[in-house]
Amino acid sequence: MQGGVDEQDKLDAEAAKHLLRRAASMLRPYRRQCIVAMSMVVVWTATTLAGPFLVRHGIDKGIKARDGGALDAAVIGYVFVAMVSYVAYRFQVLLISRIGESFLRDIRVRVFDHLQRLSMPFYDREKAGVIVSRMTSDVDSLQELVQMGLLMFVSNGLLLGVSVLVLAVVSWKLLLLCLVCVPFVVVASLRFQRASNVAYLDVRDGIGNTLSQLQEGIAGVRVVQAFGREDVEAARFQLGNRRLFDAHMRSVKISAWYLPVIELAGLLTTAIAVGVGGWWVHTGELTVGTVTFFVLTLSNLFEPIQQLSQLFNIVQSAGAALNKLFGLLDTRVDVAERAGAVDLPERGDIEVAGVAFAYEPGKPVLADVDLHIPVGARLALVGPTGAGKSTLAKLIARLYDPTEGAVRYAGIDLRNATQRSLRERVVVVPQEGFLFNGTILENVRLAKIHATDDEVLAALEAIGLRERFLQLPQGLHTEVRERGSRLSAGEKQLVSLARAALADPAVLVLDEATSSLDPGTEVVVERAMTRLMEGRTVIVIAHRLSTAERADLVGVVAEGRLLELGTHSDLVALGGRYAALFATWTGGQGGRDGPELLPSP
Amino acid sequence: MARPPRRRSPGWGLILASCRVRRTGIALGVLAGLGWTTGKVSVGLLVQRAVDRGIESDDMGSLRMWALLIVGAALVVGTFTGLRRYLAFREARWIETDLRERLFAHFQRLHFAFHDRAQTGQLMSRANSDLQQIQAFVVMIPLTISNGVTVLAVTVILFLTDPVLTVLALGSLPFLNVLATRFSRRLHPAVMGIQQESAELAAVVEETVAGVRVVKGFGAEGVQAARLLTEADGVYERSMEAAGVRATYLPALELLPNIGLIATLGYGGHQVLDGQLTLGQLVGFNVYVVMLIWPLRMLGNIIAQAQRSAAAGERVHEILATAPVIVDSPSGQRLPPSGPGGTRGTRGTRGEVRFDAVRFAYAPELPVVLDHFDLVVPAGQSVALVGATGSGKTTVARLIPRFYDAVSGSVLVDGCDVRDLRLRDLRRAVGIVFEDTFLFSDTIAANIAFADPDASPVAIARAARLAGADEFVEALPEGYETSIGERGFSLSGGQRQRIAIARAILADPRVLILDDATSSVDPTKEHEIRDALAEVMRGRTTIVIAHRPATIALADRVVLLSRGAVVADGTHRALLDTSAEYREVLAAAERHTAVVD
Repeated sequence: MQGGVDEQDKLDAEAAKHLLRRAASMLRPYRRQCIVAMSMVVVWTATTLAGPFLVRHGIDKGIKARDGGALDAAVIGYVFVAMVSYVAYRFQVLLISRIGESFLRDIRVRVFDHLQRLSMPFYDREKAGVIVSRMTSDVDSLQELVQMGLLMFVSNGLLLGVSVLVLAVVSWKLLLLCLVCVPFVVVASLRFQRASNVAYLDVRDGIGNTLSQLQEGIAGVRVVQAFGREDVEAARFQLGNRRLFDAHMRSVKISAWYLPVIELAGLLTTAIAVGVGGWWVHTGELTVGTVTFFVLTLSNLFEPIQQLSQLFNIVQSAGAALNKLFGLLDTRVDVAERAGAVDLPERGDIEVAGVAFAYEPGKPVLADVDLHIPVGARLALVGPTGAGKSTLAKLIARLYDPTEGAVRYAGIDLRNATQRSLRERVVVVPQEGFLFNGTILENVRLAKIHATDDEVLAALEAIGLRERFLQLPQGLHTEVRERGSRLSAGEKQLVSLARAALADPAVLVLDEATSSLDPGTEVVVERAMTRLMEGRTVIVIAHRLSTAERADLVGVVAEGRLLELGTHSDLVALGGRYAALFATWTGGQGGRDGPELLPSP
Repeated sequence: MARPPRRRSPGWGLILASCRVRRTGIALGVLAGLGWTTGKVSVGLLVQRAVDRGIESDDMGSLRMWALLIVGAALVVGTFTGLRRYLAFREARWIETDLRERLFAHFQRLHFAFHDRAQTGQLMSRANSDLQQIQAFVVMIPLTISNGVTVLAVTVILFLTDPVLTVLALGSLPFLNVLATRFSRRLHPAVMGIQQESAELAAVVEETVAGVRVVKGFGAEGVQAARLLTEADGVYERSMEAAGVRATYLPALELLPNIGLIATLGYGGHQVLDGQLTLGQLVGFNVYVVMLIWPLRMLGNIIAQAQRSAAAGERVHEILATAPVIVDSPSGQRLPPSGPGGTRGTRGTRGEVRFDAVRFAYAPELPVVLDHFDLVVPAGQSVALVGATGSGKTTVARLIPRFYDAVSGSVLVDGCDVRDLRLRDLRRAVGIVFEDTFLFSDTIAANIAFADPDASPVAIARAARLAGADEFVEALPEGYETSIGERGFSLSGGQRQRIAIARAILADPRVLILDDATSSVDPTKEHEIRDALAEVMRGRTTIVIAHRPATIALADRVVLLSRGAVVADGTHRALLDTSAEYREVLAAAERHTAVVD
């Protein structure tokens, strides 16, 4: 398959040079292997040309000179060359693959490690799909180069150069004549390279569109049938599918005119070599062996040009991909650990002092927040969606750094704390239990990788979930599948809570779920949550008034400010926003304890 | 792996039938291939004559003629190379395109039960990678035939020149074929292995990025990095395995022609010295050995490719041979016309639904979901189906538009058994809003007008208004022409839900089914939908499946289901008073509705 590259991703000469230098510096650990590999390539190229050269020798010095010994010498030489060629070829494939694959492995690990170090603001800015594509499609186009192209690109370039050189030494006059076709081939190759790049991108888009139409048609098949739209959808699909066919045909047409040009050039040159070369044999300027040598070697001249023009697209798209990967590696880590950072003590109060935060400069999300949470206290944050309550919670967990002011734990600015101790002391439990592919045990252990099975069980016991998980047919070894698709929403939340219990943090930041669960699980989740909060400092983003009611402190966040702060009864007595909220709720529901099941107005 | 192709497997049947349809184009491709062969083979003969009758005989006139003939052969080869390639790809791509359309149309017609079992990814690969395999085989047909003829013609020419030298020069070349076959067969699984490992690596990256909040929240970066390292090592190892296969076969594939060339030079050279062979013939041998390298290697690929294509064809055939179960009955009965005053939602529109001793299981081996199930919903009544998970409420809803057929008993709409009705009529008469709102990546207008693409903008706006979607749609910059979906505007759950409701009522169905239509909506926004629902349900037979009391309370009547049977039936108030089970179900849901937002 040929690669292709979008116009905006193409590199100029300067950028390409910079890129090569940087890639070369990454290859430094493999310097010795690179040298060996390159010499193998050189040896192999030499043997490829040595074959026809020995045939020439055999014809001129052996057959024409009627010297059987010289002929045998040429044959023995050829046997030797064939063996060397075999060995050199084998090692060049192995070595170049090893270097290339090691390079790819290094870059995968480095890019991923860097992604892991990048903080939340980066993930808010960039689309998840784009981040993932760095590690998938970009690395894949590098892989394509390593597996298909790199060896061919290097050896063909070399072969082309050496062939021209050797032919020139043997007979520069005949070579010049044979090169008559080269300008046509070069022009055709350049045009082909450009046209096939466009065609490739066309086909790629066509495939993408067809696949997404196909996917939608399958995923939405129930809706299609429910509305009797089977025929309309099939006709719509046909339209896109035919566009893909047309794109394929455009691409085929390009190679259907280009390949004949190459083949024609090769054979025309053969005709020149035989015709003109033969004339020069007649005039005594050349030997028959030399003409044969030309005929056999000329195929080495045009094939590399053809392959290079096809490979060029792969090389270009690999270059673009590498450029993007280096760009990612250069992205600065916003929330980094300072030199001389200290470990946080086991227990400590939380102080938010004069904190302001903006995702983008000039657009503050939070300002002037002052807050103190004593050890073991429970703070509920309430307020409208997007008013800043979850941002405040994330600042307390240092998923972001405040733009102004500071967040302190036991008097230590979080920016001066080690990342490790911070994650041990402060744990965030997100709203939906996000699970990774693997077993329940592995998912719980995410919080503390070296925890023993007993520690995991103890953590489950602590929040009353031990029985619940052990009663599953495979217990804690139940595979949860991709995104935990095998578990119910409630069970996923339970795993998420179990993680927090295993981490056993001093401070817990909870985002309360908004979506409903089946009634049975709901009770279990609530009980586990209560057990989990015992003895810890808790910051909870509350969606239910009952949660706020039970908290030690309630903070009302609205319009980017902490508007009210106090106990539930204080705030109700205050008669501000919280009181108003409370009033609509109790009014709208007609009493808290006896649910009046009427539609709310 | 190395099974020879079986006699006419269904896979071959499918491929051959496809080729038969495109036989003219394929035949032309084969002809172009033979033209190429003629030109290519004559080049060797011409070079040989040029050396013997021109150079060696010192006859310059003759040399010029042979050289010009090589030019002629070059033009023939060039022309037919292009034609062969163009025709081969055109036919192969066409067959791929056509099969993909047939598959898609078939997917659309296959019954729900089929789609319940099939995975989207599996069906996708039928219509994608499997068709690629078939395409790759078809494209090779003209190439293989011309390559085969080339090999044959060259062998005959050389044999006539010098049989012993032919055996020596070409003797090693059949191994080229064998090696190429083996190479392709061993490389394929290795490459598949790389793809598999890469997919696993991609999965780790994807979930780490998607779950970045969890990873950061627990400081689990190290755990994920370790997982990635394992996968990266996996990719490395598989890739090196593939490199090992290449390193084993590629040099050997190059060595074999060299053996032929050495034999030609050694034995042939002495033959020339002994006057048994001309120099031109020796050069001709050289040219031919080089010429046969690629045809023989390609012939090696075709066997492995043919096996892969047959397997792919079999999988595609399996789908195309699956007959849709839910089809129009031969009788094709029509629904009785709407009652008097049958305009939008007024009383008098028909829509009586009756379940008569229905027994149903999703598959013979699966447990029975409904047994002897009876239920009558009079025209115009709204009924809420309530019950725990697995009580059968969704099944009841899905039997009405005949997504499945009852095992025994019957489901009747306005007195007609649904199996006797034309599917189009039935599904037009029954509108449904599914639990997971699936919208197509198209404009809002096109999504609402899904049941009737010719619906007027007025009708679309009316449906949107009824569903309470008009306000937010009209507030969008492009209104009803806003594109939604992957690359379009993203809507909230509640907004999507309301568009789905508008879609269901556009055709003004006699029966409306709302399958848990509010469950995915943020409770704070639920009241917006509730108001819309109340409007839509007025005077229309409506079956609503719900958990939340406020939604249930909208219905005229509540039916409580448990294990596929009706356990309580009455108004919401009456059931609250009389059924403890009902109160329990509702109380559980109620705990969740109070929200401070």
